[in-house]
Amino acid sequence: MSTSRADMRVGDVLLPLDKVPVVAPTTLLKTTLETMARFRLGVAAIVDDTGRLLGVFTDGDIRRMLLRDQKPFPALFADDIIVHATRQPTVIRPDEKLAHAIAVMEDKGIWDLPVVDNDGRLKGLLHLHPAIKAVLDL
Amino acid sequence: MIPKTIRVGYDNKVTSVAIGGAESLAFLGGPCAIEDRDHAMRMAEAIGAVCRKVGMPWIYKSCYDKDGRSSPDSFHGLGMDDGLAILAEVREAFGVPVVSDFSDVAWAEATGEVCDLIQVPAYLCRQTTILRAAAKTGRPVHLKKGQFMSPWNMKNSVRKIEAAGNDQVLLADRGTFFGYNMLVNDFRNFPIMAETGYPVCFDATHSVQLPTSMGDISGGQREFIPYLVRAAAACGINALFMEVHDDPPNALSDANTVLDLKHLERVLAHAKAAHELRLELLAKWGEDDVHLPR
Repeated sequence: MSTSRADMRVGDVLLPLDKVPVVAPTTLLKTTLETMARFRLGVAAIVDDTGRLLGVFTDGDIRRMLLRDQKPFPALFADDIIVHATRQPTVIRPDEKLAHAIAVMEDKGIWDLPVVDNDGRLKGLLHLHPAIKAVLDL
Repeated sequence: MIPKTIRVGYDNKVTSVAIGGAESLAFLGGPCAIEDRDHAMRMAEAIGAVCRKVGMPWIYKSCYDKDGRSSPDSFHGLGMDDGLAILAEVREAFGVPVVSDFSDVAWAEATGEVCDLIQVPAYLCRQTTILRAAAKTGRPVHLKKGQFMSPWNMKNSVRKIEAAGNDQVLLADRGTFFGYNMLVNDFRNFPIMAETGYPVCFDATHSVQLPTSMGDISGGQREFIPYLVRAAAACGINALFMEVHDDPPNALSDANTVLDLKHLERVLAHAKAAHELRLELLAKWGEDDVHLPR
């Protein structure tokens, strides 16, 4: 049975946790940047010990951080990532419609949406490229 | 960030000292080296009298082994067994918590059995085995920032201590190398090190040291101690560290930097007043954060 565009859900195309940069709040900024580079994504999800999403750190946060926090790079690299994270980011549930999620991303001007369950635990990441590709391939 | 409070004093034989938060400024002070039993007792009695008069919580500091001296001919200390016995006697006689450093992993356990606060020397502040041994004593750890270390990198040393199961740390600034044979104080170090969540301490007498500036001993400019103490207290510290001696020219260690006992009351009074004024200002006007919102 084929899935129609209207029926596609976020959970159908999300990047699973093993494809997403996930770090702890006390992970150093330097380590977070390395993790993001390894996954080739412009976002890292920050979770607590139970997997609950605490925030995200994005390429946009890096731009804002460099303009705002004009301290030396060795000091920035040693910062806990949570210091520079966007707290309470926009999130989406896995059972939301994909079309709605894409509309949210367009509305917010963002490329990634953390996907969380009803308890706020991270389940994956909705990245704009595979989301659009899934829609176009239908 | 309001630092957590650590408590120094492991039994009811001493008046324990709380360091951090909005607690009173604590004083860590005594002769640099334990010279002999009578001198240690005499200094403890005299310093204790000053601290009671000023109203300042106090931890007696003196070390049994001076492993970082510039010359092999310099006084090295009484050694661990004799030194700890004297510290235990001071502790018992005056009801004051005591602190000493240690520079050999094998000395940590015995030092922790006597001392209420265990100190990691600045030169050893990133040595994992030393930090782990200090943490394993179970005592609060007085961790001095190395003269070569940036304040933000002290977090790595703190995490080594935490990883060994100890979350009672006091971070101290004792100056930063400014070229050779010269130290300066960067007062940004206090708020930066406080970002770890732990209280911070200013080591005034080592900050005025001119390391090994006199051939085979260190010089110093003790005339700057009052200025730096007042500045640090106004900036924001939880504890003040000063080495004190009743006869500085004849002190067996750090003779060029120790504070003369006769000036202690005045310097402590200034420090206490500056600390209390800072807390009053913060209570009235709010925290120091003037950074732009994210």
